[in-house]
Amino acid sequence: MMRAVLLAALLALPAAAQDFSAGSEAAEWGLQGERKARFAARVVDILCQLAGDCPPDCGAGTRQLGLLRSADGVLVLPLKNAQPLFSGAVADLAPFCGQMVEVDGLLVGDPAMTPAPVYQVQRIRPAKGAWAPANRFTADWAARNPEAAALPGPWFRKDPRILAEIARGGYLGLGPEADRAFIAAERGR
Amino acid sequence: MAGRHRHAVRAGLALALALVQPATAGAEGRHVTVTGEAIDTWCYFSGVMGGPDAVVGSAHHTCALWCAAGGIPVGLLADDGTVYMVLKLPGADDAAGGRGFLAVASHRLTASGMLHERDGIRYIIISEVIEDHGITRRNHEDFGVVPPFAIPEAGGE
Repeated sequence: MMRAVLLAALLALPAAAQDFSAGSEAAEWGLQGERKARFAARVVDILCQLAGDCPPDCGAGTRQLGLLRSADGVLVLPLKNAQPLFSGAVADLAPFCGQMVEVDGLLVGDPAMTPAPVYQVQRIRPAKGAWAPANRFTADWAARNPEAAALPGPWFRKDPRILAEIARGGYLGLGPEADRAFIAAERGR
Repeated sequence: MAGRHRHAVRAGLALALALVQPATAGAEGRHVTVTGEAIDTWCYFSGVMGGPDAVVGSAHHTCALWCAAGGIPVGLLADDGTVYMVLKLPGADDAAGGRGFLAVASHRLTASGMLHERDGIRYIIISEVIEDHGITRRNHEDFGVVPPFAIPEAGGE
């Protein structure tokens, strides 16, 4: 019985206190407070978890998704997928809405400025399935933006939403005149 | 001795339940008004592009657009350093890459909505943007642009 109590107390320890590195094959990125973490979790719609606002299929890729970790019930927040391309993890997690998966990646964050570690998903596998890299963002983006995808360059240089914002507010967000002054100064260096 | 054992077991279970409770509580939320900058949370928390002062404001605006469009969660960085992860924004149907989030990237906002805390992270469901102050942190004068290749015309690529 004492053993069961100790186990229960261990499971209740804060996320930061536990080590999930066993079996991880995550690549190191040299990030703040980074540590490898492989764990089983259920993919959940965070709005549904917190506020009971639960559309079908977790909002079909239009909501932030979380990983409800089996070992301790902690809701882990994934910010990033495996691609070094300014891409989040929703496209990788959305197909598994409500399902149990195993993920491998990095818990990230300097404890001094991050209230709880956030997560980078590098690979994912469904229950009884094979591992797959968490790199669906660009294919998903290309399917939604076929004309832009046909142009040369990385997605973030040709995304219509980004281009519209830069056309409106400039690269600095302060208007075209601020951009012109900055670019001239940089060229003059 | 058996009584003491039972007491220890009860105390242990109570401790375990108390420690677990914060992970499952918080469904109620509470109404708050927050003023802060709409930031790219990945660069801010991961340090992938430098310290926290360099990955906010005008210096990081283009990258904030990229990350918001990439579906990385947007946060509101309050003046006291607290980051509120934004789950909903009025006028933005898509909280994972939607146009509405790009439109406020790097802007200082005063917003109200429901705050939920879960496992150390604060989440906000914004019901109203009371005021959009625009981009108030003009830190490109100190840091240039971050990353340096953000502006091709400035020789970054």
